[in-house]
Amino acid sequence: MNEIVTATERAIGLLISGDPGLWAIIGISFSVSLRAILIATPFALAVALLLTLGHFYGRRLLIAVFNASMAVPAVVVGLSIYLLLSRSGPFGDLKLLFTQSAMVIGQILLAFPLLVAMAHSALQAAERSAWETALTLGARPWRALFTLMYEVRFALIAAIIAGFARIIAEVGCSMMVGGNILNYTRNITTAIALETSKGEFAQGIALGLVLLALALTLNLLLNLMQGKGELA
Amino acid sequence: MSYSRRRLFEVELFVFEPGTCTLLSGRNGAGKTTLLKIAAGLLKPDRAIVRIEGRDFTWRAARPFLRHRVIYLHQFPYMFNTSVAKNIAYGLRQLRIPRAETKARVSQALEWSGLEELAERDARTLSGGEKQRVALARARVLSPDVLLLDESLSGLDPEARQQTYFLIRRMVSEQVAVVVATHDYELLRQLGDRHLILTDAGHLEDRSPKTTAAPSSHARAPNISPPRRRGQ
Repeated sequence: MNEIVTATERAIGLLISGDPGLWAIIGISFSVSLRAILIATPFALAVALLLTLGHFYGRRLLIAVFNASMAVPAVVVGLSIYLLLSRSGPFGDLKLLFTQSAMVIGQILLAFPLLVAMAHSALQAAERSAWETALTLGARPWRALFTLMYEVRFALIAAIIAGFARIIAEVGCSMMVGGNILNYTRNITTAIALETSKGEFAQGIALGLVLLALALTLNLLLNLMQGKGELA
Repeated sequence: MSYSRRRLFEVELFVFEPGTCTLLSGRNGAGKTTLLKIAAGLLKPDRAIVRIEGRDFTWRAARPFLRHRVIYLHQFPYMFNTSVAKNIAYGLRQLRIPRAETKARVSQALEWSGLEELAERDARTLSGGEKQRVALARARVLSPDVLLLDESLSGLDPEARQQTYFLIRRMVSEQVAVVVATHDYELLRQLGDRHLILTDAGHLEDRSPKTTAAPSSHARAPNISPPRRRGQ
């Protein structure tokens, strides 16, 4: 028990003192996950709009696939990307394995189904009549799309927050395709796993506290947005 | 028009006469809503020719003309997540009408519909009758040629119905061609200049009584009263 208290005190000390190593790890986590969510969001929104407004064969199947994909473990996504990017894989020549780009790709794939499923559900809640009303009142189709998205903006922001929360806290994919290289691909979760295995609990706890604070903040934001999203 | 490989209807001619209120009836599932949405450019028909001012167009080519000139109103009008005034201004903003003119036209539409006191209210919090009036004002502000109402008077209390009747008649007297899809024969007595039936066989039949073929006038609907402001 004493050991935990001491480690926690050291962890708080590390955070407050602005330990450069610790904050570099936090910076990598945010940089990778923000890039992933920024790239994934527009494509996911486009797919969600297509699923909401489109009439094509296989639409329902696609919705089911995206819903099911939300539950795919990060480590399975990591394994798939590893196989694709490894030297003997089809994209081995790109030399992306154990780079931040590989981590970004992995996190895009992790966030994408969640973003599509949540955005689709938000857009469906807006009713088709919102889209038709915008069109009949003279909006061009792309303006009507923006109107539709604006109508459910809180629910869409909630989807983005949920996607970000999923990828910043994942460990399996980042560990496999990033390789946990110090000051390059070591992020919060992979660092926690490494430090714990070494018995260095202080840094692990400090990073854990950051992750907990982040999870709490994101969930509070999510609740706030979903509450407002009821209107949409 | 066919739907899920079932032929829904084959309408030879659907004429919109300015200054006339046409009642469109037919059993549930006959395709009234589909027909109106095609006419408004919201739903793609299997095949259609649109004649505007003596010129023939394909439905696709006519679609840009149809929007905001042929306005479709849902049974339960969709209110954008903003104030009544901004809902009414929506179409004008899409048409890039200058701000000062938009303001003037919105304030005239608010007065026209008796909604001045509700201008800043969140449109989603209004009653069913008030929403209908907002939807009519939102359409009228665009000076449409044709107004298509899809069961718009169903579910309204008697006072709200009378107010909506009044606004519809005013639009008819302003030379708008109004079509109301309905099962309500009381409405036919009060509003209808023409009565069309979409038959089970998918044809449009004119059942207008000879006596109601004359252009509409307020005198034919003595029971209709103007919308009253809140608190009156």
